[in-house]
Amino acid sequence: MNSVSRCLTGMVTIGAAVWVCSGPAIGAADNPREIIAEAQRRSASMSERYEGILESFDGTDKSSEKRWTMERLGSYGQSKSVIRFTSPAEVKGVALLVVNHPDRASDQWMWTPAIERDRRIAMQDRSTRFFGTDFSFEDLEERDVDQYDYESLAQESVSGVMCWKIKSTPREKKSSQYTSSIVWIRQDNYATLRIDSYIKEQAVRRLNYSDLKNIQGIWTAREMTMSDLRRYTRTRLRLDKIEYNAPLDDSRFTLQALRTP
Amino acid sequence: MTNLVRLISWNYFRKHAVRTTLTAGGIALGVAVFLGMHVANDTVLAAFAQTVDRIAGKTELQITAGEAGFGEDVLERVQSASTVRVAVPIIEAVADPHIRSEGKLLVLAVDMTGDQSLRDYDFDNSGGSVIDDPLIFLAQPDSLILSKEFANRNGIATGSALRLDTAEGEKTFKVRGLVKSTGLMTAFGGNLAVMDIYAAQKMFGRGRTFDRVEVARKPGVSLAQCRAELERLLGPAFTIQPPSSRTQQFETMLAGYSLIVDVSSAFALFVGLFIIYNSFAIAVTQRRYEIAMLRALGATRRQVRLLFLTESAILGAIGSACGVVLGLLAADAIAGTIASMLGDIYGIAQRAEGSLLSSGLVIASFGVGVGASILAALIPARQADSVDPIIALQKGKHQAFSTRENHVRVTIAACVAAVLLAGRVFARVSVAPVLGLVLTVVAALLLGPLLARGSARLIRPLLKRLRPVEGALAADSLAQSPRRTSATVAALMLSLALVVTFSGIAQATYDSLATWMNTTLNPDLFVMPSPTLDVQSTRFPAQMGPEIAAIPGVKRIQLLRSTRVNFRGSTVMAVAIEMTSVAETDLRQPVQGQRDSMYRVAAAGDGLFVSENLARLQHLAVGDTLELAAPYGTIRLPIVAVVLDYSDQQGAIFLDRQQYIKYWHDDSVNVFRVYARDGANVPDVRQAIIERYAGVRQVFVLTNGEVKSYVVGVLGQWFNLTTVQVILGVVVAILGILNTMTVSIADRRREFGILRAVGGFRGQVRRTVWLEAVSISAIATVLGCVLGGLALYYALHVVRENAGMVLEYHFPFAVALGLTPLILASGFVAAIWPAEAGVRGSVVEALEYE
Repeated sequence: MNSVSRCLTGMVTIGAAVWVCSGPAIGAADNPREIIAEAQRRSASMSERYEGILESFDGTDKSSEKRWTMERLGSYGQSKSVIRFTSPAEVKGVALLVVNHPDRASDQWMWTPAIERDRRIAMQDRSTRFFGTDFSFEDLEERDVDQYDYESLAQESVSGVMCWKIKSTPREKKSSQYTSSIVWIRQDNYATLRIDSYIKEQAVRRLNYSDLKNIQGIWTAREMTMSDLRRYTRTRLRLDKIEYNAPLDDSRFTLQALRTP
Repeated sequence: MTNLVRLISWNYFRKHAVRTTLTAGGIALGVAVFLGMHVANDTVLAAFAQTVDRIAGKTELQITAGEAGFGEDVLERVQSASTVRVAVPIIEAVADPHIRSEGKLLVLAVDMTGDQSLRDYDFDNSGGSVIDDPLIFLAQPDSLILSKEFANRNGIATGSALRLDTAEGEKTFKVRGLVKSTGLMTAFGGNLAVMDIYAAQKMFGRGRTFDRVEVARKPGVSLAQCRAELERLLGPAFTIQPPSSRTQQFETMLAGYSLIVDVSSAFALFVGLFIIYNSFAIAVTQRRYEIAMLRALGATRRQVRLLFLTESAILGAIGSACGVVLGLLAADAIAGTIASMLGDIYGIAQRAEGSLLSSGLVIASFGVGVGASILAALIPARQADSVDPIIALQKGKHQAFSTRENHVRVTIAACVAAVLLAGRVFARVSVAPVLGLVLTVVAALLLGPLLARGSARLIRPLLKRLRPVEGALAADSLAQSPRRTSATVAALMLSLALVVTFSGIAQATYDSLATWMNTTLNPDLFVMPSPTLDVQSTRFPAQMGPEIAAIPGVKRIQLLRSTRVNFRGSTVMAVAIEMTSVAETDLRQPVQGQRDSMYRVAAAGDGLFVSENLARLQHLAVGDTLELAAPYGTIRLPIVAVVLDYSDQQGAIFLDRQQYIKYWHDDSVNVFRVYARDGANVPDVRQAIIERYAGVRQVFVLTNGEVKSYVVGVLGQWFNLTTVQVILGVVVAILGILNTMTVSIADRRREFGILRAVGGFRGQVRRTVWLEAVSISAIATVLGCVLGGLALYYALHVVRENAGMVLEYHFPFAVALGLTPLILASGFVAAIWPAEAGVRGSVVEALEYE
C-alpha cells in the first residue's frame, strides 16, 4: 500500500517498501522494523516522472481506463507531486497537486479545466475511495515507520521468491481504517510483492506488485493491482517511461502552475 | 335511552331526511375542512422535514449564515476545527427539468471527494457503463446523478441528457450515475439530482460561496463541544444547529400561514356548530308536543335532555365520519396547493406527495366534530327539558324568549360593549385585538335574537306596504319566532361578517401593497434570473451591470441584492441597494426619518433603514442602533429611516450595497432595476437586453406591470385559500335558510290552511314564505355587514400586532354591495321549495294539523 502512494502521488520508487523511517536503515534481516526501513531506503530518489495507466475492473470486465503523467519532486515527508490526466477525454486536463508534510496530512488541490476552477481536497475521511478506484486515500499516504508495530510472521515463497512476511499494526495514536496489514518483502532485493490489509480479522484489500524491473538502481514494480475483497472489484496500475532523479523545477509544483497545462 | 332513540329519534330523522342530511352535512363540512387543512399542513411540514432528514444523512451539525451563504474560506475554518471529523459544503437549488408532470427538481450540489463520508450514495452499477466515477463526475460540470426511480419514470438512463434552467440559460446535463431510490435519493419526493458543488457555483451564479457546511464530529466529542468550538471559530453570524432545526425554522416561517389554517378550520367548525344549533333549536320547537307527551308519560327532564344530546351525538358522529372521509380526500389536493404556494412565496424546497395520515388527528377531528355537535345542542336540549307540557300546547308561546332571558342577554352584551368601549377610549386601540374580536362576536351573538326581532319589527311597515297581507304575515312570523329566526340570522350574519372581514383585510393589503409598489417598484424593467421574484438560488454576477447600462435606451440601472438573514432570532430580508441612485427614483416618504438626509447617510455607510413591520415587530425606531451579525463582521449602524415595505412578512433591513459586499463578501445581484431613457421604447429596450444575453445567460426581463401583477398574484394565493372556505361558509349558511323555511312551513301549516280557508290564494302563501326568507337574508346581510365592519377593525389590529403591518381601514363596500343581491337571491331560491311545500296538500289536512 505504501508503494501505491509513490505511484499515484509520485512519492518514491515502486517495488520497495517505503515507510518513512526516523532511524538509520540497517540490514538486520531478523528485525521486521529494520527490514521495512531498509526497503524504504533502497527505493528513495530525489525526483520521479512516469506515465501511468489506471484500469478499473468490475468483476472480470474492465469498466474504465485513465491515463496520466506524474512528476514528483522531493523526498519523504516533504515531497510535492503533480498528476495530469491525459485520457479519457472527460478527464483530460484535470490535474492534482499533492504537497506532503512531515507532521500532518498532505494538502491536495485539484484543477478542473472545464470550469476553470481549482479546489482543495480535504483529507477528512481517509477511507474514502480515491476517485472511484479501489485505492483509498489512506492507501496513498506516506507512512511513518515509527507509527506502527511490527511482527515477523514467517518466511514464505511468493511466486518462487523467498519473502519476509511481516505484520504491521498501527499504534494507538495512529488513526487508521485498517486494524493491521501483512506485507511480503522479497529477501533478495527488498522489493514489496504483496500487501493484505485487514479490518478486524477480515482481509479487505489486497495489493499485488508485479513486472519488477531495476530502473536506475531502484527495483520498480511496473504493475500493481489493488483488489477490493468486499466489492469484488480491482484496479490495475501500469507504469511506463519511468525516470528517476530527473531535474524538475520547484515552480512546476505550485497552484499557479497547476492551472497551466 | 336506546329505545327512545329507536322509537322517537329515528322516526324524526327519517321524516326530516333533508334537514337531517343538511345538519350532518354542516358538521361534515366543518370536520372535513378541519381535518383536510391540518392533514395538508402536516403533510407539507413532514415533506420538508423528510427532505431535510434524508439530505442530512449522517450530518450532525449544519452551519448556515442566512440565505446568502458564505465564502469558501469558511469551509477551511470549519475543517480546521479539532472537534470536526468531516465538514462538507452544500449548495441547494431548485431547477426546472422541463419534464411534464414532474415539477421541479431539487439540485443538491456536493463535493464528492468528501461527501460520501456523510451521505450514502447507493449507486446502481448494473448498467456497466461509466458510473460511480467521481473523477469524471468532478471533471465535467454537466454531470448529474439522478435517482433510479425518477430516471425510470422518465425513460432516462446513464448517459442520457437532461435539460435544466441555470444562470447561463437552459443547459444540457449528462446523467453520469443512477442511485437507487433509497435514503438520500427519496428526498424531495425522489425529484433529486446531485451535482458537483463547484460546477453548481458556476451554473447557478453563486460566485465562490456555499449555502451551508455540514459537519460530523470526531468520535468521543460531544455535540455541545463541537458546536461550542465552531461558534468560537466562526462568530455570531453563523447558525450552528442540528439538521432537524431547519424544520423548526420552516415552521416559524409558516407561522402566518398556520394561523390562517387555524382560523379557517375554526370558522368551518363554527359554521357547523351553528347549523347543528339551528337544527336542534328548530327541532325542539317542532317537537314540543312530542316532548310534552314524553313528559306526560313519565319521562324525566334529564331523559328528554339526554335524548336530544344523544341525537346530536349520533348526527355529529355520522357527520364527522363523512367529514373525515371528505377531509382525507381533499387533503392531497390542499397539500399540493399549499406546497406550491410555499414554494412560490418562500422558495422552500419541499415536495408533498401523499397525505400524512395521523390516526391521532383523525380521532381528534372525529372527536371535535362530535364534541361540537353536542356542544351546539346543549342549549336546545336544555330548552327541551324545560318544556312545560301544558304551555307546549299553546302554539307560539314557547318560541319567545322570556323577559329574564332577554335581560341577561342585554346585560352581558352591554358589559361586553362597555369593555370594548373602555378599551378603545382608554387604551386607544383595545384591550387586546384578539380579545376585542372575540368579544365583538360574542356580543353580536348574544344580541342576535333581539336584533333579529327588532329588525323584523322595523321592516314590518316596509313589508306591509310592499304586500299588505303577505308582508305583515312574514314580518309577524319573524318577530314571533325569534329562536327559529335568530339562529339562521346568526349563522348567515357570521358568515357574511367573515366575508366582510377577510375582504376588508385583503382590500387593505392590496391597497397598501399598491401604494408601496407605485412608489417603490417604479423601474421600467426588471432583469431577473428567473421568471419569479422568489427564486434566490440563481443569481447574476455584478459584471452584468455595466453591460446592461451600455444597452441603447437604458438610462439608469440599479443593482439589488436581497437575502434572508437571521436577526434577533427571526428570519428577515436584508436588501442591499445602491442608496445614491435609489434616492433619485424612490418616491416613498419614510414613516419615520428625514427623506432629505436618509439616503445620503445610508449611502455613506453611516446608517440603514428598516421596514415598518420590522420596526413594529422588533420595537425599533429611528435613532436606535441596529446590530446585525454578518459572515465577515457585525454591522452596528443607526436606523436613519423607517419605511413602508412589504418585501418580507418578518420585515426588511435596507443597507447600501457596498456595506453588504463588505460584510458578506458577495457582490452577486438578484435583480437589475432598469430605467429607460426618456423617449425610449421600453419594449425595444427589453428586447435589446434579451438579445444581449441570448444563448449566454438565462435572463428574464419583466416589465413594471408584470412584476406588479406577480406580486399581486402571490398575495392572491394567500387569500385564495380562505376565500374558498368563506364561500363554503356562506353556502352552508344559505342552506340554513332552507332549513329554517322548511321548519317554518311545517310550523305554520295550520296558519296557511286558515289563510287559504278564508280565501287566501296559493300565491299569497308563496309570497309570504318568500318574503320571510328574503327578510331573513336582508336582516342577516345588514347585521353581517355591521359585525364585519367591527370585526375588520379588530382584525386589522391583530395583523398590526402579529405581522407589524399597518393597514388602513377601508370598509369593503364593493364586496358588501355585491353580496347583498346575491344573498337576497339565495334566500329567495332557498324558499322556493318550502313555499311549494306550504301550498301543497289540502286545506282540510292543514286545518287538522296539530
